[in-house]
Amino acid sequence: MALIQLKNVNKVFPTGKAEIQALKPTNFTGEAGELIAIIGPSGSGKSTFLTIAGGLQTPTNGEVIINGKDITELKEKQRAKIRLEEIGFVLQSSNLVPFLSVQQQMKLLDQVKKNNLSPEKREQVYLSLGIQELMTSFPSELSGGQRQRVAIAKALYTDPSIILADEPTASLDSERAFEVMEMLRKVTTDNKKTTIVVTHDTRLIDYCDKVYRITDGTLHQEMASLTS
Amino acid sequence: MFLAWNEMKNNKLRFMLIVGVLTLVSYLVFFLSGLANGLESLNKEAVLKWDADGIILTEESDVNLPQSSLKLDDYDGHGTDEYAVLGQMNAIATSGELKSNVSIFGIKNDEFIMPDVIEGEAFTDTGEVIADDSLKEEGFEIGDELELSATDETLIITGFTEDAKFNAAPVLYGSLETLEQLRMNSTVNGFVIRTDNLDDVPVSEKLQVIPTQTFIENMPGYSEQSLTLAFMIYFLFIISAVILAIFLYVLTIQKISIFGVMKAQGISSGYLAKSVVAQTFLLALAGVIIGLALTITTGFFLPAAVPVAFNALDLFIYGIVLVLVSVLGALFSVQTIVKIDPLKAIGG
Repeated sequence: MALIQLKNVNKVFPTGKAEIQALKPTNFTGEAGELIAIIGPSGSGKSTFLTIAGGLQTPTNGEVIINGKDITELKEKQRAKIRLEEIGFVLQSSNLVPFLSVQQQMKLLDQVKKNNLSPEKREQVYLSLGIQELMTSFPSELSGGQRQRVAIAKALYTDPSIILADEPTASLDSERAFEVMEMLRKVTTDNKKTTIVVTHDTRLIDYCDKVYRITDGTLHQEMASLTS
Repeated sequence: MFLAWNEMKNNKLRFMLIVGVLTLVSYLVFFLSGLANGLESLNKEAVLKWDADGIILTEESDVNLPQSSLKLDDYDGHGTDEYAVLGQMNAIATSGELKSNVSIFGIKNDEFIMPDVIEGEAFTDTGEVIADDSLKEEGFEIGDELELSATDETLIITGFTEDAKFNAAPVLYGSLETLEQLRMNSTVNGFVIRTDNLDDVPVSEKLQVIPTQTFIENMPGYSEQSLTLAFMIYFLFIISAVILAIFLYVLTIQKISIFGVMKAQGISSGYLAKSVVAQTFLLALAGVIIGLALTITTGFFLPAAVPVAFNALDLFIYGIVLVLVSVLGALFSVQTIVKIDPLKAIGG
C-alpha cells in the first residue's frame, strides 16, 4: 500500500530573470513498511524533496499524495494538520523543545493532537527505543544518541503513517548512527510505516529497502529493494 | 497554557526578572493612584462631606470661592431643598511653636454643613472654632489659642472634626460672626445648596449655580494636579506594555527555531500564539498581585503626613488594565510567531 506518492513533482525557484529548478519532474512512491534512503551531495535537492514530501512547501507542478489524500492544493493550516496527523519528522538537529522534559515533550503532543499512540503502544515504543529511563530528563541532559532516540519516539508518538528523517545521524558517531538506523528500521517494519531518510552518509543504505540518489534535482533509484 | 507554564517553570530566573520589572511598574502605578487619591482628598474632602449638590457663587468669581463676595440677602433659599451660608478665608494659625496653613469657614451651626464633632465641643461663641483633626496630629490641642496672620484676632479650638480639608489646608469651622470679626466685613462667599435640579434654582444675573463637581475641579491647582498624576499613570500603562512586549519579543526571537520545528511538526501558530498570550497573562498577573501586596504593605508603614489614600476599586481597575495592556504588548510576539516559516527553521 502506497503511503506517499509524488507524481510529476517539480520545484522551480525564480531568481531574478533566471530560474533554478531545485527538483526536476519526479515520481516517487513509498510503500508501508519501507525504509527508503535519499542520498546525494549538498545542494542536490534532497531537502527540497523532503520538504515537499512533508508538506512544508508546495511543488511548482505535480501532486503530493499522503495516505491517499492530495495535499498539493491545501492551505498551510490544512497542511499543518496533515503534518501533525500523518507525518513524523526526525531532524538533523534535535527537534526537542529545550524547556520540556522527555515526558512533557510527549504530553505537548497530547495537547495538540488527540488519538495519539495507545498507552500500551507508547510503552512498547519507549521500551524498544530504550528511553523509558529518560522520561524525566531534559534535552540538555541527554547525549546525542539519546536525543535522536527521543526524537524518533516523538515522531512516532502521534502514530503517523510516514516518518521523514533529515540527516538523522549527522551529529552522531558511527556506533550511535547505526543504532539510530536500526531503530528506524525496526519501527518502520514493526509499525508498517514508510520512512524516508535523507542523508549523504552512504554507510546507512544497508538498512534501507530502497535507495534513491538525487543529483542536480533529478531523482533516480539506485538499487532495488535490499529485502527483495 | 501547558507550554507557557512549563517554560516558566524551567526558566525561573529569566521569568522572575520579567515579573520583577512588572511588579515595580505595578507598584508605581498603584502608589501613584493612591497618591492621586490622597492629594485629591486633601483638596476636596471638606466639600464632599457637605454632601451638597452645588454652590452659588458670584459670576465674576470665576468659580473661585475666595473671590466670590456676597451679601446674606443675595439668596433666600428659593428652589432648593436646603441651603447653607458659607464664608471662607485663608490664614496661617500659630500656637506657640506650632504653625499651620488653615482655611477658616464661617457657617451657621444649625445648617447642614455643620460638621460632626468627634472630640470636644462645638463652637458657640464668637472666636471659637472646631478644627480638622489633622491639626491634632500636628500637636494642636483643645483650648489652644490660635494667633492668625493678617489679623490681631485670636481663635480658640473647642473641638475636632474629621475629614475636613479644603485646598489641602485643614479647616477651622467657626460662626459667621467669628469670620466677620476676622475679616472686618459682613460678606459671605457662597451658598451651599441641596436640590434635585440645579437648573431650577433661580438666582440673579450676578450669581451662578455651580455643580459640586465643577466647583471641585475649579479649585486652584486641582485639575492640573489630577491630570498630571493621571498622565503619569497612563504613561506607566504604556511603559508596562512596551517593557513586556520587548521582553517577550526577545524571548520569541530566541525561540524562532524551536517554534519553527514545532510548526513543521504540525503544531499550529494559533496554539503557539495562545501559549505566548497565556504566558504574558500569567506574568502580568503575578507582577500585578505582587505589586499590589507591596503597595498594601507600604501603606501600613507610611507616615500620616504622606497624602496617600488607596481606593480598592481604582486598584482593581488599574490592575486589570495593567494585565490587559501587557497582553496587548504580547501581540508583537504573536505576529512574529505567525510569520515563522517552518521550512527555514528546519533548514530547507
